[in-house]
Amino acid sequence: MEQPNQQSIDKMWNYAAKFAEKSGTHLHPDRFITEGVVLGLASNIDKFGRPLCPCNFYPSKDENGNWPEGLYLPREEEVKRRDWICACDEMQKFKYCHCLLFVTEEGLPITEHLPEDHEGREIYGLVTDPTPDKGRALAKALEKQQSAE
Amino acid sequence: MSDTREVTDLTWEADVVKSDLPVLVDFWAPWCGPCRMVAPIVEELGQEYAGKVNFFKMNTDENPQVPGKFGIRSIPSLLIFKGGELKGTIVGFRPKSDLKKRLDEALLA
Repeated sequence: MEQPNQQSIDKMWNYAAKFAEKSGTHLHPDRFITEGVVLGLASNIDKFGRPLCPCNFYPSKDENGNWPEGLYLPREEEVKRRDWICACDEMQKFKYCHCLLFVTEEGLPITEHLPEDHEGREIYGLVTDPTPDKGRALAKALEKQQSAE
Repeated sequence: MSDTREVTDLTWEADVVKSDLPVLVDFWAPWCGPCRMVAPIVEELGQEYAGKVNFFKMNTDENPQVPGKFGIRSIPSLLIFKGGELKGTIVGFRPKSDLKKRLDEALLA
């Protein structure tokens, strides 16, 4: 397992701390968990240019440049859109981090804003948002747009 | 000694499909936070179910074929097989009691 370069690691620690503060969340209290995710994000910066979520499976392209349907995209394609670039769409819409980087003080992911049939609700139950005035930038922008229409 | 062994795209057929015992496979990646939480629980279960269930882990960063075949998206994902057939899927971190319950249910299926 190749260690990411120190510049990328520092960049992601800095980003994670700032985003946690901005979104009213905490970094996971178990340093081993947080460090793993930060290293994964840094590794994806080194290899693919963007901090792609390290808690998903991204398929590889075959010799013809194709990949299986119904999965996420290969990493080199996934970084061209923003769905799984940290902070991912789920975080920006629902304040839910399935990678457990941005969580409550107790180390639980916030599930309150998730659709009820989302796997996060099944796994963790209802975890209320202790700082509903913070975060969810994408959801709030969409709500604002919808109310203006 | 660990009862959880590594399985790869190349050894999948022999280790999982042709296994005489039911099999649980932990699909993980080295830098995935919840994978790091699940791994020690899977290790413990591997010891508790020794002789009844074979436990494997597959690094999805190094083995693209099998995870793609089973539609893996989020990791960790735990898949349970009996007679080579998929009997249960558990996505994300779960406490040990929950994993045990789901494993037992899948073994009865």
